Amino acid sequence: MAMQLRVTDGAITNRVLANLQGNLTRVGNLQEQLSSGKQISRPSDSPTGTVSAMQLRGESRAVQQYSRNASDGLGWLGVIDTALTSSLSQTGKVRELVLQGMSAGTASTADARAALAAEVENLRNSLIGVANTKYLDRPVFGGTTTGERAFDAAGSFIGDAGTVMRTVGDNSKVQVDANGAQVFGANGSGSQLFTVLDSIANNLRSSNTAGLDADLQNLDVAIGTIKTNLADVGARYNRIETSRTAADDRLLNVKSQLSEIEDIDLPNTIMQMQLQQTAYQAALQATAKVIQPSLMDFLR
Amino acid sequence: MASTFSGITTALSSLYAQRRALDVTGQNIANANTEGYTRQRVQMTSASGNTLPTMWSTSDGIGNGVSISDIRRTRDEFLEGRGREERANSAYLTNQKQQFVTIENTFAEPSDTALQHQLGELWGAFSDVANNPNDRAIRTALIQQGNTVVDGVRSAYDALGAQWKANRDQAEAYATEVNTLAKNIAQLNTTIQRATAAGLPVNEMADQRDVQLMKLSELTGSTASIQADGTAAVYLGGSGLVQGVTAREIRVTGADRLQNQTADPANGVAVRWADSGTAAQVGGTLASIQDTLTTTIPKYANSLDGVAANLANTVNALHTGGYGLDGAGGREFFTGTTAESLRVAFDNPDFVAASSTSGTFDAANADALADLATTAGGPGETYAVMIANLGVEAQSVDRRQAIQSVVTRDTDAARESFAGVNLDEEMTQLITYQRGYEAASRVLTAVDEMLDVLINRMAV
Repeated sequence: MAMQLRVTDGAITNRVLANLQGNLTRVGNLQEQLSSGKQISRPSDSPTGTVSAMQLRGESRAVQQYSRNASDGLGWLGVIDTALTSSLSQTGKVRELVLQGMSAGTASTADARAALAAEVENLRNSLIGVANTKYLDRPVFGGTTTGERAFDAAGSFIGDAGTVMRTVGDNSKVQVDANGAQVFGANGSGSQLFTVLDSIANNLRSSNTAGLDADLQNLDVAIGTIKTNLADVGARYNRIETSRTAADDRLLNVKSQLSEIEDIDLPNTIMQMQLQQTAYQAALQATAKVIQPSLMDFLR
Repeated sequence: MASTFSGITTALSSLYAQRRALDVTGQNIANANTEGYTRQRVQMTSASGNTLPTMWSTSDGIGNGVSISDIRRTRDEFLEGRGREERANSAYLTNQKQQFVTIENTFAEPSDTALQHQLGELWGAFSDVANNPNDRAIRTALIQQGNTVVDGVRSAYDALGAQWKANRDQAEAYATEVNTLAKNIAQLNTTIQRATAAGLPVNEMADQRDVQLMKLSELTGSTASIQADGTAAVYLGGSGLVQGVTAREIRVTGADRLQNQTADPANGVAVRWADSGTAAQVGGTLASIQDTLTTTIPKYANSLDGVAANLANTVNALHTGGYGLDGAGGREFFTGTTAESLRVAFDNPDFVAASSTSGTFDAANADALADLATTAGGPGETYAVMIANLGVEAQSVDRRQAIQSVVTRDTDAARESFAGVNLDEEMTQLITYQRGYEAASRVLTAVDEMLDVLINRMAV
């Protein structure tokens, strides 16, 4: 038999079927992309894309956590800021009372000075209350103490020297507490706020003007320390807020990068889908035309 | 001088030949859609007169009509051989592709739910404990998150184990199928050998055998060659599976669980000759399953073990250095160092070693644990590397499969073009033989009329 390229019905059918299958598979893939909105749904779709996507997801999780940590840190520092502001106004009030007690005219009587002393004692109790301010059940001036309070009723510091840190960025940890011993003076030091206040009350009662003089100096040191700490807290507050803004910005950035890698280009995909559907329909029509006629249709 | 009646025999031989040719055409048309059918062609030979001049055999030089010398099967052994080879490659890659799809589904990355996300949540939970070391609810949430990660790792491992087991069972089933096919081919060989010796046509049986040879090649990558006596010899990597009328058997031996395979790879799954016990060199689907059982799944199971070990080691290294709410230190967070044995060591929230100093709410240790999220060489990175490898390997199989399927399709088309039935062609043949028959009848009528003249009308 003379060799020539034969085409058989079976060969045509197989080829046409394979082509239709190929077309349909591509339509299916595009449909999957359109319905999921993702161009990477398994690692083999793009191994490098998958790794980037995983990295970015991890980063997004970390950055979200930084933002959460920052919010928590801002909570601490906010409470400390309020407490320190209130401490300043109350110590300012004490300072006025001391000056009043030292001036002979207005507080010349023992009763008047006793009244001043009583007011100082009240302020002292109130300040101890402020020094025991809590945030989420923890005394914010107590360091890392597991106890309920930073200062006992007598005004001595019972917290520890530990620091409370928050991670607000990669390798960026910020202290979010203020240690009671630093803010209000260490136990035993002459300028420890509550010792000073105690001494003021006593000296007022005993009309010890020289003592009051010394107290006033100590009180100024204490007030100065609180002011310094307040400034420090404010600075740290700003630093965390900056970190949080940076974290939020980065989250947005990471999300858009992730979307770039993972998500489909909608107009492009729809366009491809249309093209693919047209190709599929053309293939179907061609199939319908190719398979029908044969010599049999023309024989009687 | 030739016989007066020789014209009748010549016409008769044509009537017979054309009818048989019509029957063959009918057979071709009937089997136009039969899988594996090879179109047949009638080989007609003109019958010559006597060629050896003897005293009694004189010839007038005209032949004695037509005879059918052969009904030939139009089949190209070279194309068949290529077809078997390409189909075997295609079967291997198609099965590999399916295996990788299953493994990819097991890990389901990248997503917002799979292991990588769960690990991220675990680091987040450590960070939350660092923020609130005094809150038992948050500590409990951390332990739950630890359990979620453990479950994620273990369920991935279990899925790999299930896939392994399913493949192991399938390997047995395929081995049985291979043995049955080999036996069938040997039986067909017997029949064909006898029929050939007796000069009987074997076309349809040969078709049947070709179909079985193709199936066998897809399953095992076997090669085949047709011998002079009409039998097919089948080889698995050089060793005979079917030779003449005898068939050998294969069987699947070795480990029956993924754990046994990974624990003792030397005694792992293997396809062996049943008689000698030596390893059989297989291709096709069976080779894909064998590779999956001995290489692919164990590799990813080991990688997963590596992730589990890395997780347990890195977390424990830090956790043992911290102190729980009860002031006690030195506790491990995870027990077990394999994907299967990994567990959270305790369920008491007080035992979470958040503090780096005993008896305080200093949460530096929990903070350090949270930092593992970004540690180079940490469990997250180990896992990402594994997923990257999986992606590259699956993608490469995908591509090879796509290319191979085109090659296979072309080879199939070439085989089909050569051996398949073309209805137009058969219709043409049909008309040719029909006309041939009609013409032969016409010759017979002419001779008949001639004899009528000679016998009835002459010398009346």
